[in-house]
Amino acid sequence: MNEDSLYIEEFLNGDEKGFEMLVRKYQDRILNIIYSLIGKDRESEDIAQEVFLKVYHGLRYFRRHSRFSTWLYRIVANTAYGFLRKRGNVVGDESALENSVTTRKDPRESLSMKEREAMLQKALARVPIKFKTAMVFKDIEGLSYIEISRILRCSIGTVESKIYRARQFLKDEMLELGGGSV
Amino acid sequence: MRECADIERRLSRYLDKEMNDADRAMVEAHLAGCPLCKKEMSELARLKGLVMETERKTLPRDYLVCRIRESIADERRAIGRLSLAGMGIFARRLIPVPVAVIIVSVVFMIFTSMQPVTKSSLEDYIFSGRAATTETALELILGSQN
Ligand SMILES: [Zn+2]
Repeated sequence: MNEDSLYIEEFLNGDEKGFEMLVRKYQDRILNIIYSLIGKDRESEDIAQEVFLKVYHGLRYFRRHSRFSTWLYRIVANTAYGFLRKRGNVVGDESALENSVTTRKDPRESLSMKEREAMLQKALARVPIKFKTAMVFKDIEGLSYIEISRILRCSIGTVESKIYRARQFLKDEMLELGGGSV
Repeated sequence: MRECADIERRLSRYLDKEMNDADRAMVEAHLAGCPLCKKEMSELARLKGLVMETERKTLPRDYLVCRIRESIADERRAIGRLSLAGMGIFARRLIPVPVAVIIVSVVFMIFTSMQPVTKSSLEDYIFSGRAATTETALELILGSQN
């Protein structure tokens, strides 16, 4: 029995501490995934909270033949997608990043770390969520294609093409924002 | 060039080290002889590196736990209010049941509690030799304490 299963067992036996241990273990990872998907600080925290509330209420229905993290990541993807859809913006929202970066027209000018980071976030916000999610699970969370395919309930080939498409989008957006050849 | 298009689509997977040995060898063989795909490859690699190295946020250990506890407490309060309101709907249909139970028990309580008191008081009254008017009898039965 792994650590997560022990926490889940504890929680289902009535000890809320089991649930709280899961929150503490995953909160930063979940927050960073959500932030990469929606690009907003405060809302990312709210969505992370929403995710864990869904876990709290849904844990008794979690079928334990799959990994807890797979189930958790699926909730993250669905909740972030739901947030963007509610906003009528499934592409992503860059308005929050609008003022945080000055667009460079000359790619030869070297960018500071902070500028590059801000530009990347802005470009990331423009990548359609249906491609971006797989890439975020891969590059932010370091998951394998097979894990991502389980989370998103699609084939490995689909994961591959989603990530490929996301990177093409990201590359084009970086170029357009003046990041040169990245 | 058709081969380049095919390789380009595979570069992403190659970069993620998600390729079997045969495919990887094929991509590497192509990259060795194609500066264009090699350039594409290094751009993708830098891009991936940039995404991987984005600044990570951390939350204080109990930050979310506290927020979630509060939220769950709020939910429970809301559910409490909701079920009280919900009970009203049921109560309307079931009104005759509790009302009947209350009436029966009140009558029974009055009856049983009055029995010995009225009996003995009336007896005392009668034995005292005074004339029992309807008024005093009623007072005694209904338990008016002087
Ligand atoms: Zn080529």
